[in-house]
Amino acid sequence: MTATSLQRPFTVVSLLPRLLDTNGDAGNARVLAQRIRWGGHDAQVVDVHCRADLPEQVDAVSIGSGTDAAILPARDALRTLVQELRVWSNSKVPVLAVGTGWELLSWGIDRADGTVIEGLGLVAGQAAPRAARATDDIIVASKYGRLIGFENHARDYIGAEASPLGRVLYGTGNGYRASGPLIEGLTMGEVFCTHLHGPVLARNPALADHLLRAAFTRHGLEYARGARAEFVDETAQAARNQVAARLGQPVE
Amino acid sequence: MLARWRKPGGGSAIPGVVVNRIAPGFLAATLNGFPLGLVIVTGSSGKSTATKMLVAVLRAHGLTVFTNQSTANISQGLTSALLERVGLSGRIAGDVAVLEMDEGHGAFIAGSLNPRVVALTNVMVDQIDRFHDSEMVAALLAKIATRATETVVLNADDRYLAELGSALEPTVRVARYGVTPAVLGQYPRGLGYAETTPNRLPTGIGLQLTRVVGRDAAVEFGTDGHSIRLPARGIHYAVDALTALCTAQATLGERFDPTVACASLSAMPAVFGRGEVVTVGGKTIEFVLVQNPSSFQLNVDSLEADTEQILVIIGSDVRDPSYFWPVDTSGLRHVLIASGLKAHDIALQLAYDNVQVDRIEPDVPTALDAFLALPDPASGVKTIIFSADGMRRTRAHLGLVSNAEES
Ligand SMILES: [Zn+2]
Repeated sequence: MTATSLQRPFTVVSLLPRLLDTNGDAGNARVLAQRIRWGGHDAQVVDVHCRADLPEQVDAVSIGSGTDAAILPARDALRTLVQELRVWSNSKVPVLAVGTGWELLSWGIDRADGTVIEGLGLVAGQAAPRAARATDDIIVASKYGRLIGFENHARDYIGAEASPLGRVLYGTGNGYRASGPLIEGLTMGEVFCTHLHGPVLARNPALADHLLRAAFTRHGLEYARGARAEFVDETAQAARNQVAARLGQPVE
Repeated sequence: MLARWRKPGGGSAIPGVVVNRIAPGFLAATLNGFPLGLVIVTGSSGKSTATKMLVAVLRAHGLTVFTNQSTANISQGLTSALLERVGLSGRIAGDVAVLEMDEGHGAFIAGSLNPRVVALTNVMVDQIDRFHDSEMVAALLAKIATRATETVVLNADDRYLAELGSALEPTVRVARYGVTPAVLGQYPRGLGYAETTPNRLPTGIGLQLTRVVGRDAAVEFGTDGHSIRLPARGIHYAVDALTALCTAQATLGERFDPTVACASLSAMPAVFGRGEVVTVGGKTIEFVLVQNPSSFQLNVDSLEADTEQILVIIGSDVRDPSYFWPVDTSGLRHVLIASGLKAHDIALQLAYDNVQVDRIEPDVPTALDAFLALPDPASGVKTIIFSADGMRRTRAHLGLVSNAEES
C-alpha cells in the first residue's frame, strides 16, 4: 500500500518569529508551506513562541535571525524546546536555521567583550566576533546548486569545517580560515544552517525542495514541484542571475 | 538617499560653514532667541509630515515661523537659512522656530539649544537602523527630550516613548497623544512602533484620535471633538496630525484654537510622497511611498480594498532583497506590473504571498507607459507603490517637479 498524501496538513513550524525575523527569515516557513500547497498538498505554518504552541506533528522547522538584543531571550525560549529540537534533528525532520538562529543551536556565541553566551549545543562549532561586519551579497557553490543570497553578520562561525553547506564564490560566509577555501554554513543530517538571510528558500528553491523531499520521505511520500512553483522559480532564477551578472559570475 | 533639488531662493551651505567658523554662537543664540522659543520635532518616522503640519497650524494662528526644509547638514543648512532672514538691524523676524531633527542630532543640540517644546513621534527600526536596537534609538531620543525647558509632547501608544516620558524630571510637563482602542483595533498588526503600550490613554486624557476612515479623522482634545480632512489617506497621517496638534497646543498655550488648528490641517495640500494624488495626461494616479517595512505594511493594510490597478516599483535603494520580507503583502491581491531594479525580488515575495503578478518589467519608463496606457480602472484609482528610487525615476519620467523634502 502506498499513500499519496498525509491525512492531515503538512505542518511547518516557525520558531520564535517575534524575536527571530529581522530579515524576514521567518518567511522561509511560508515558502515551504506554499511549495507544499503548490505541489497539491495541504500545509500550515504554526508559529511557536513557547512549548504550549507546539503542534502534535512537525514536518519541517524554520528558525530565523534576530538582533543582538534578542539573543538572550531567544536562547532562553529555545532552551525550553531543546528536547524537541533534538528529536527533530535525530528523526530527520528538516530544519533551516539562519544567522542568530543558527548561532543559538551551536556551542555558543563569543561576544566582543569576552563573555560567552552558551548555545543549545545541537550542532558543532561556535560563533566568534569579526573585526568588521560582513554585509553584502553572497554566492555559494553547494550540493543544492549555486546559492545566492545576502549576508549580514558581525560574527564568524568556527568549527563547521567538517560539513559546510558549500564553498564561498563571493562574500564572506563562515569567515576567516588559516588555510583552505572560504566555506559557508553547516549541515548535520537534515539540519541546514546558513548566513544567507531573508528569503533564502524562495531565492534558492533547489534547497527548499531538498528540505521538502526530506519531509515527504519521512512519510513514504514523494515530493513533486507544482506547476506554480516552476513558474515562480523562473522569477527566482532571474533574481539570482541579476546578482550573479552584477558580480561578474556566470548566469544560469 | 535622493539627490537634493535646490529650492528657489535656497542658499548654498557654504555661508553656513563660514559663519559657524567665525561666529560659533550665532546659530544657537538665534534659534534660542525667538519670542515663542524653539520647538523640535523628532522620532523615527513621521517627523517630516508632523513638522509641516505643525508649521501650518502655527501659521494659521498668525505666527511667523522659521523652519527647516531638511534634516541634512543641519548646522550649516540652518545657519545659511537663518542668514537669509537676518534683517538690516541684524535681527531675525519671526515668532517661533520649528525644527525637524533626526534621532542622531542629540549631540548637535546638547549644550547649545534650549527648546521650549520637544515632540517625539515614535520609535521604529528601519533598514539602516535595524542592527541597532530600539533601546538605542529610544536613548537617542531621550537625549533630545531632556533638553526641553517646558513641555515634552509624546506618542503615548509607543512603549519606548511612554517610558521615556515617565522618566523625565517633574519640572518638565508631558503632553500625551494617542489613538483609542477602537482605532487601534482597525490595525491588527499595530501601527509599526517597535513596541506598543498595552493600554490606550484613558478617555478624556490628552489628545486622542477617535476615528479614521479614509481621509476623514476625528480627534478629541479632552472632551472637545473636532474633525479633520487629512491631506492623504492613512493612519500614519492621522497620527502625524495628532503630533502636530498636540505640539501646537503646547507651543501656543492659551492662544491655541482647536477649530483654527483643524481647519488649517484640512486645508493642507496633499503632502509629497505617501498617498499623493497626481494627474498625468488626464489620468489620476495615487503615489504611495514605502520607505521601510512598517510604512509598507501600513500602506498595504490601508489600501482601498477594491484597488484594481497597482504598479509596484522597487529600485536600487533597496540593497538587500530581504528588506521587505517581514511585510505581509497578501492584501494587494493583484499587481499588474512589478518594476524597478528589484522587480524580480519583489515579484518573488508577492508570489509567495499569493498576490497575482501579471508582468515583471524592470525598466521603469516602460512599466509606467504600459500602466498609464491602460483605461481608467472601474474601481479605485491607478496606484503606484514605490521605494524612494522608484519614486525618483517615476517623477523624472512623468516630468513631475521633484521636491526637496525627501531625502
Ligand atoms: Zn541608528
